[in-house]
Amino acid sequence: MPLLQVEHVTKRYGNLTAVDDVSFSAEPGRIFGLLGPNGAGKTSIIRMITYIMVPDTGQISLGGQPVGPETQPRMGYLPEERGLYKKLKVGEQLVYFARLKGMSGSAAERAVRHWLARFDAADWYGKKVETLSKGMQQKVQFIVTIVHGPELVILDEPFSGLDPINAELLQEVIAELRNAGRTVLFASHRMEQVEQICDDICLIAEGRVVLSGPLREVKRQFGSNTVTLVFDGPEGWLDALEAEGAVSVLSRTAGHVTARLLNATAPRRVLDAALAAVQEVYHFELHEPPMDEIFRMVVGGERTPAELGTT
Amino acid sequence: MQKIFLIARSEYLRRVRTKTFILTTLLAPVLMFAVIALPVALAVFTEDDSARRIALVDETGRLAEPLIEALPSAYAIEVVDEPVDSLRAQVLDGRLDGFFVLPEGLMDGTSGATYYGRGGGGLSQQMALQGALRDAVRRRRIRDVGAGDEVLALLDERANLDLVAVSEEGDAADRAVISSIIGYMLGMLIYVAVLIYGMMVMRGVIEEKSTRIVEVMASSARPYQLMMGKVFGIGAVGLTQLTGWSVLMMVAGVLAGPLMAMAFSPDIMNGPGVNMPEGVATGDLPFDPAALASVLTPGLLVSFVGFFLGGYLLFSALFAAVGSAVEQESDAQTLQFPVMLPIMLPIFFLPYLIEKPDATLSVFLSLFPFSSPIMMTVRMTVTSVPAWQVLLAFVFLGLGFMVMIWIAARIYRVGILMYGKKATLRDLWRWARTA
Repeated sequence: MPLLQVEHVTKRYGNLTAVDDVSFSAEPGRIFGLLGPNGAGKTSIIRMITYIMVPDTGQISLGGQPVGPETQPRMGYLPEERGLYKKLKVGEQLVYFARLKGMSGSAAERAVRHWLARFDAADWYGKKVETLSKGMQQKVQFIVTIVHGPELVILDEPFSGLDPINAELLQEVIAELRNAGRTVLFASHRMEQVEQICDDICLIAEGRVVLSGPLREVKRQFGSNTVTLVFDGPEGWLDALEAEGAVSVLSRTAGHVTARLLNATAPRRVLDAALAAVQEVYHFELHEPPMDEIFRMVVGGERTPAELGTT
Repeated sequence: MQKIFLIARSEYLRRVRTKTFILTTLLAPVLMFAVIALPVALAVFTEDDSARRIALVDETGRLAEPLIEALPSAYAIEVVDEPVDSLRAQVLDGRLDGFFVLPEGLMDGTSGATYYGRGGGGLSQQMALQGALRDAVRRRRIRDVGAGDEVLALLDERANLDLVAVSEEGDAADRAVISSIIGYMLGMLIYVAVLIYGMMVMRGVIEEKSTRIVEVMASSARPYQLMMGKVFGIGAVGLTQLTGWSVLMMVAGVLAGPLMAMAFSPDIMNGPGVNMPEGVATGDLPFDPAALASVLTPGLLVSFVGFFLGGYLLFSALFAAVGSAVEQESDAQTLQFPVMLPIMLPIFFLPYLIEKPDATLSVFLSLFPFSSPIMMTVRMTVTSVPAWQVLLAFVFLGLGFMVMIWIAARIYRVGILMYGKKATLRDLWRWARTA
């Protein structure tokens, strides 16, 4: 039974249809990726889920209850653009936000101390926010999102601006939340992150759902038509292959290439061409297209997997 | 309601604890006290103790004596018979502070006296000299027609005029001067306070929007609650500051009393040298505590606080709406003008209202919700306003701010999410209609 259900939601701003008949659902214990380029309508959808805005048509429900003021405390929302009261102390600020989400004063304080400790920040409690670094402030913002123990955690580009260590810590906590049976809605346009952490995805372009389902299934739809080759030597053979329309190069750095096979080209044709030209081949792999390639294919051409041709 | 309280509490504490708040609360009265007291203190303490040496050329031959008598003791007068040129030289090299020349025609008014000095000395010296001269000439003229000492004594007898204001509650001393001064002060106080704290609300909304806190807030509470929490919180800040100021002003007033007394002591006010209108007793001066108390009745003070709060609520909601539409304060200029205009307009009508507090226009302005906070307060100070009118003003004000808050909340909840393009007045109107 999904926790969050979005059904045929449409939102217009004047003549612009920002969200066009969008439906999806997110289940407890899973991480749901809401993907799409900037301006696709992700933020509008999230604002309607969090009851900051109201859809023109369609319904959104949390655990069967239509969203409204009563469902707000059951959600935590980390917006893409986020801020804190600079002059306020970390502890007081977190307690304030937790209490706005309906917690009692003492419970809020306990939860704040618990989460600060979890983020190795127990001694920040009495510090003013303006004395913290940007990375530290982001941790505080993340705690704001989860301090009240929400069933639905909505994270809009949570990794932007985080250093690798903090990004890893955040990833750990997100996994913990999932394992604790929370529903995580993760909005992003960074596809490599999506591949790493999402269980289900919903791809939005120009306000419409263009692709959705469990990540594995979505990728399987696009088949194994991509090759990656690691080698030493000249690269001219690749240009020749591309010129005759056998492959389309997706990414290319010195000695490392990822290409999509076109027109039912056999994988070994690429290997043969390489072996004939390069000094050494270290790695050759046939695999599913990376998420950002799927994203580009679907959004760029507005084509369905069937039309794109699979091997 | 609980959320509004939580938000108001946070807004209040966040501001009251800042150094800026504590400093402005403590220093503003000190500053005002300084502005009032310093010139007085300067005048009193820098007064030249050494006698002023003044020469007197008396061509009438009989004015010297009464003039010396009429001038304050600080003037050392020397009757001389030297040419003007030589006296001028003495003034220039500092041996004299100045000299009088009293021509023969002064007694019958055909010519005037002249005082030569180095300039300066201010209004008080000019008044002292002029008063003393007029006094001396009048006394001499009366004596010349044969009047005795008893006639001269009659001149010093007082002739008081008491002004009585007739009203239904009974007759009371008319405090026209003091009540218009206090009326002005209270009116300006409401004007300034509504503006200061209204702008504070606007700045708070802009801050939350530009730091992007508002989106998290909006996912935790309704926009209406956010707005009202802020309005109430900052209203409480305003009350706290006004209370702090009045307490400090009272203290300052107690301290200022002796200084005032020094500056306007009866010795100077009604002294023989100054030609004050006869009958002005110190009891009628504006800073007399009894007169103050008779104007600043408890009813007026309660209404003052009520009208300040009502005016603040009405306008701060509009300031919040303006703040929600912009991302930085400098962008708010054009949008805040239509909000500030109705606050400022009544100020232009103040002189009229004080002059004619019961004219139809005055009554209208004191009932109309946008102007009533200032105008009714001033009217209540300068005249006795029927209780039903005061109540009616409060009812209108209450209705007014409910309508304004309703409109402002609709603008606010669209505005806080709008980034990028600058909103115009027309946009605000569209948000209010369609939100």
